[in-house]
Amino acid sequence: MSKRIVIDPVTRIEGHLRIDCEVDGGKVQKAWSSGQMFRGIETILLGRDPRDAWMFTQRFCGVCTTVHAIASVRAVENALNLEIPINAQYIRNLIVMAHAMHDHIVHFYHLSALDWVDVVSALKADPAKASALAESLSAWPGNSRRELQAVQDKIKGFVEAGQLGIFTNGYWGHPAMKLPPEVNLLAVAHYLQALEYQRKVNQIVAILGGKTPNIQNLAVGGVANAINLDNESTLNMNKLYMVKDILDEMSAFIEQVYFVDVCAIAAMYPEWLDYGAGVTNYLAVPDLPLDTKGTKFDLPGGTIFNGDLATIREIKSFDDPYFKDNVTESIARSWYDGDWTKHPFEEDTVPKYTKFDDSKKYSWVKAPRFEGKVMQVGPLAQVLAGYALGHEPTKRWANKALETAGSLARMKLTPAVLHSTLGRHAARMIRTCVISETAKKHWQLLAENIGKGDTAIFNEPVFPKGEQRGFGFHEAPRGTLSHWIVIRDGKIANYQAVVPSTWNAGPRDEKNQPGPYEASLVGNPVANPELPLEVLRTIHSFDPCLACAVHTLDPEGREIARVKAL
Amino acid sequence: MDLTFVRVIGLGNVLMGDDAAGPWVIEELLAGWVFPENVAILDVGTPGLDLTPYLANAQTVIVVDTVAAPDASPGEIRFYSRETLMATPWKPRLSPHDPGLSEALLALTLAGSEPDDVLLVGIVPGAIATGIGLTPAVRDAIPKAAREVLRFLELRGVSPIPRPNAFVSPWWEAGAGSDQRQNS
Repeated sequence: MSKRIVIDPVTRIEGHLRIDCEVDGGKVQKAWSSGQMFRGIETILLGRDPRDAWMFTQRFCGVCTTVHAIASVRAVENALNLEIPINAQYIRNLIVMAHAMHDHIVHFYHLSALDWVDVVSALKADPAKASALAESLSAWPGNSRRELQAVQDKIKGFVEAGQLGIFTNGYWGHPAMKLPPEVNLLAVAHYLQALEYQRKVNQIVAILGGKTPNIQNLAVGGVANAINLDNESTLNMNKLYMVKDILDEMSAFIEQVYFVDVCAIAAMYPEWLDYGAGVTNYLAVPDLPLDTKGTKFDLPGGTIFNGDLATIREIKSFDDPYFKDNVTESIARSWYDGDWTKHPFEEDTVPKYTKFDDSKKYSWVKAPRFEGKVMQVGPLAQVLAGYALGHEPTKRWANKALETAGSLARMKLTPAVLHSTLGRHAARMIRTCVISETAKKHWQLLAENIGKGDTAIFNEPVFPKGEQRGFGFHEAPRGTLSHWIVIRDGKIANYQAVVPSTWNAGPRDEKNQPGPYEASLVGNPVANPELPLEVLRTIHSFDPCLACAVHTLDPEGREIARVKAL
Repeated sequence: MDLTFVRVIGLGNVLMGDDAAGPWVIEELLAGWVFPENVAILDVGTPGLDLTPYLANAQTVIVVDTVAAPDASPGEIRFYSRETLMATPWKPRLSPHDPGLSEALLALTLAGSEPDDVLLVGIVPGAIATGIGLTPAVRDAIPKAAREVLRFLELRGVSPIPRPNAFVSPWWEAGAGSDQRQNS
């Protein structure tokens, strides 16, 4: 008999993401993903000065701040056909890369590792054995017996004091937890070390962006970082070298810790390389422009259909009509007035809530489509597009990860295993390695260009009378983000943001095609419907981000989330 | 490295009505007083667990945010100690970016870089929905909450200097169609 599971974080202000699964025979048969909160923040932008849009858009979400700022200035520049100085591209690129490294490290260690790691099991580990194991895999100095012993003592103290309660994902001792105690101990030690490195890389955003988490140095037309190598208060040699030192420290952590941990987890949960593929059409846009116009990039992008890398079609510029003309959104199954499918320039946002009805409308999230097809976005799409286009760093890191995980698991792993729940984690790590390497290159490019005496940072935007339309895309940590703007007489007449979690978390459409979350859950095992850890594993592998628009603490602790097995 | 040892952190989304209360208090403090160099007054938005860098290695952290309090009326101000915050029951996270103050504190405590002293100044919101602007009760609570923050700072030996003719005008409040551009 089939059972229905509902996972629905309930807050005082409506929930955020709700997942419904129909489970039969220990497996998910059907799933529905529902955004439980009306966004529509774009309406705040109507009538405003397009030069200010980025300051508002970066407040859409508290976690993905910089990405909405970047996409917004690119959209306005695209509408005005405005090129920006090369220094501005490099500075933006360095902020983008620092943000991505930060985001990926936080996602893996602090937001999803506990789906795989059993903290309490680490108490049973032998720190000497754990240290020997780690040292056989990595040169990282933070794996000594003493260090691991100290971490274990600390966890012991917390468990004895009953303090770990809020820290857990609640699934300790779950039958799906399979790591040996030594690996659990290493993972907890790296969880703690990762806190230090996410803080470090954040400083790059602060140095170049003026402030974190909401940067202040952007402008339509470039950046506001005055460059004068001899001036204390501008971007100078001292600040540039601070950035360089942090980039070097980051690549050590990423290559010696993050890379190894993901390979080890993949090797110990090889069955999760079979679950969770779902939609195997992929979309990634190119990013890290190397020229003033946005026609040459360090990270390639394109589309792949049916999981076949040979179908790759490249997206080539900030103005590529292949992207511009093929994005639509459907509201057939979403709580908006009507049942249209429209291009973002033509869309409106008129909410019309009806109850949750999985045969009709059931989500606040719209369903974006590319040439009418459902697409998965995110690091997996980025890595597969890079692989298919022969991008050297992506191929090298992907092959190295597959070899390392394969030799630990004693099996041959090919890129085909990446279409999976753990494949998404692996792809995120591969992308982080590529970015860490590329960030050092862009630092060099910036330093050399300034060294040549070029200090240009800004081209003044001019708004002609009449209407202009523009789109700006950015390949953000969670995937393809695009902002679409219509400007009339210098004011914003329409604004739409099609965000990565909309591509992935969106509901079915007018043709009843399920979205990527929904498709990826089908076939997932569920050992215990009361504790659906396996469902969380697959959903978390996408790094969902729908919860950010509102934030109210609940320190008086009423029930704010529930898992219901019906 | 942020070497400030006292930090006042405003949390909330400025585009969501009364959820802007935390950032508003930060604007109020920055507009009205000059703080010593080792004191940071920060609007950090809604960072979820990304809050940890702003809490790490500080001596004193005062967090200002909207709070859900079942028996309170809008604009009411409530105080919460670290102990109360840490006792909040666990909730499963589907989207991993839910508010994470207690998780961030616990993670930092395990890592040994937690602040010594933590206080939450909570403001009970009236309406939280897409749009800019506070409800009157919450708008009235802003200067009161700022004064409470100052009182706690005084107790810890921090004495900011009042600015003459202070006028608070957050950038996000400038209306659509206005020519007033606020940048950096």
